[in-house]
Amino acid sequence: MKRFIPAFQWQSRAVLMRHLRVHVRNWHTMLVPPIFEPLILLLAFGVGLGRQIEGFVWQGLELDYLRYLAPGMLAYTAFMIAFFQALFGAFVRMHFQKSWEGQLTTMVRLEHVVWGEALWAAAYATGYAVVLGLVLSVFGLTGYLDLQWQWLPVVVPLLFLCALAFSAVGLFFTAVVPTIDHMSLPFFLVIMPIAFSSSTYFPLPDVVVLREVVLLNPLHHLSEGLRWLLVAGEWTWHLLAAAGLCVLVIFLFVPLDQRLLRKRIFGEQ
Amino acid sequence: MSPIPTETETPVARQARPGGRDVLLDATGLVKHLGGKRVVDGIGLTCRSGEVLGLLGPNGAGKTTTLRICYGYLRPDEGSVAIAGHDLQGDPDSARRCLGVCTQDDTFDADFTVKQNLVQTGRYYRPRPERLAQRIEALLDQFGLREYADSSPETLSGGYKRRLMIARAVVHEPKAVFLDEPTTGLDPQARVAVWELVSSLREQGMAVVLTTHYMDEAARLSDRLQVLQNGKVRAQGKADQVLGDVVGEHVVILHATEPKTAEALAWIETNFGEGVRPSQVLSDWHVPFDAQQLSAFVAAFADLRYEVRPPTLDDLFLALSEERV
Repeated sequence: MKRFIPAFQWQSRAVLMRHLRVHVRNWHTMLVPPIFEPLILLLAFGVGLGRQIEGFVWQGLELDYLRYLAPGMLAYTAFMIAFFQALFGAFVRMHFQKSWEGQLTTMVRLEHVVWGEALWAAAYATGYAVVLGLVLSVFGLTGYLDLQWQWLPVVVPLLFLCALAFSAVGLFFTAVVPTIDHMSLPFFLVIMPIAFSSSTYFPLPDVVVLREVVLLNPLHHLSEGLRWLLVAGEWTWHLLAAAGLCVLVIFLFVPLDQRLLRKRIFGEQ
Repeated sequence: MSPIPTETETPVARQARPGGRDVLLDATGLVKHLGGKRVVDGIGLTCRSGEVLGLLGPNGAGKTTTLRICYGYLRPDEGSVAIAGHDLQGDPDSARRCLGVCTQDDTFDADFTVKQNLVQTGRYYRPRPERLAQRIEALLDQFGLREYADSSPETLSGGYKRRLMIARAVVHEPKAVFLDEPTTGLDPQARVAVWELVSSLREQGMAVVLTTHYMDEAARLSDRLQVLQNGKVRAQGKADQVLGDVVGEHVVILHATEPKTAEALAWIETNFGEGVRPSQVLSDWHVPFDAQQLSAFVAAFADLRYEVRPPTLDDLFLALSEERV
């Protein structure tokens, strides 16, 4: 458990707050992507492409593609933004800005830096998802989108948990990729397969092997769980599976991140 | 030569030793392997309040690794470090609260201004530094950073970047400060400014440990030198003592253009063997001698033209390099 205690220590919060201060200072530019990225995607795919799809059926329910897409986008946002921030953002701070080295000469230790980065990536991704939720609400107010809106605030803690798990995976690649030029490899080899086998943007084909494999994909359970809740108002086992798998990922990856980063930064085993 | 603590004393007992200033850094038996190599091999360091300890040695001697162990960046494979009586492994928070670090590379936070860097560094310490805002204002004045307070550190000159790095290292009023090559790459004026800052830290009662490649800097700033070679302490003490131990009392410079220089070198090898190792510097040979050896040499080569001067720390480096070869 000693690898997890630092998550609750003030040094990890100090690292998290350092990142928050930098981003809050640039709030006007930081808010642009979370507003306009989903807006464009919702208009292009949800409204634009959705009009071309007639008789879209999910789990026996006939619904607009926009209604199918919206919960998937929430899940995908928690996944991708956390992973991206923990991979690129942390790598830049570690390798180019040397801000990790500066922190590590104070009372902050490596385990705090790892937890601070993971918590920050998760918080940032959750904030991004909250802004997306607000954009979705605008679509709801204008009559384009019909969801079980009362459940939207309830899923925020789950989004944070999942984002924390994905940021732990991102930090794993931060620890192992040799240079920033190799960053595309985890995207092609890990992220895209996870993303496209997760029912975020389209229902998975009814292939037996795929059905078995996606049972281990927390993003699939998250998007399906959110969809059942926000579209049909039903709590399903998918949400529990998503939470359980994410806790497992956190327990597996955070100690691994700490060990690999210790080796990378200090040259120690 | 400064007193070296005995092996049997505990760090706390050493710190409390009556009649002397507090021992604020006490490292014993440090061993560190990196990349399969034993880069630190049983090094011990002490530094007292108001004292500057200079760590010298050629590249690869283990200076930076030793320093990094002492400020808790690296974990020693063997040995222990106590900062102001707090064991760095057993009580890392208390120990780290008492130390400040200026790394070799600039590691300030480029996302913040100069002043914000000091504020942010203060946030990495608990208990929080008392009257941090006033402390930062005072540091801006003391380190000549006032007019750059709202600038990005990236826009500062090399000298001012170093000032910021040292100001960051002391923002929380530590007891021991570690400066890893604080003046490397600076022009002479900026170096003198950093020297003055280091002296002011000493006057404030901090224990200062610094590594440097500049011999004049080491001699001028340090109360005591510790010379490292191949991960071990090769010599320690005042600058002149260290030079006497490692180099000798005199250095004779033989010019290669002199016809009898080759003969003189052969004579030295025949008469002193491994006891005297001449170093070639460009077209000259620098030969360290003690008084007896020098008088024998003078008697043997009365008609040879050569120079005799006291040894410098440059000779120390040459001597260490020759030993390594």
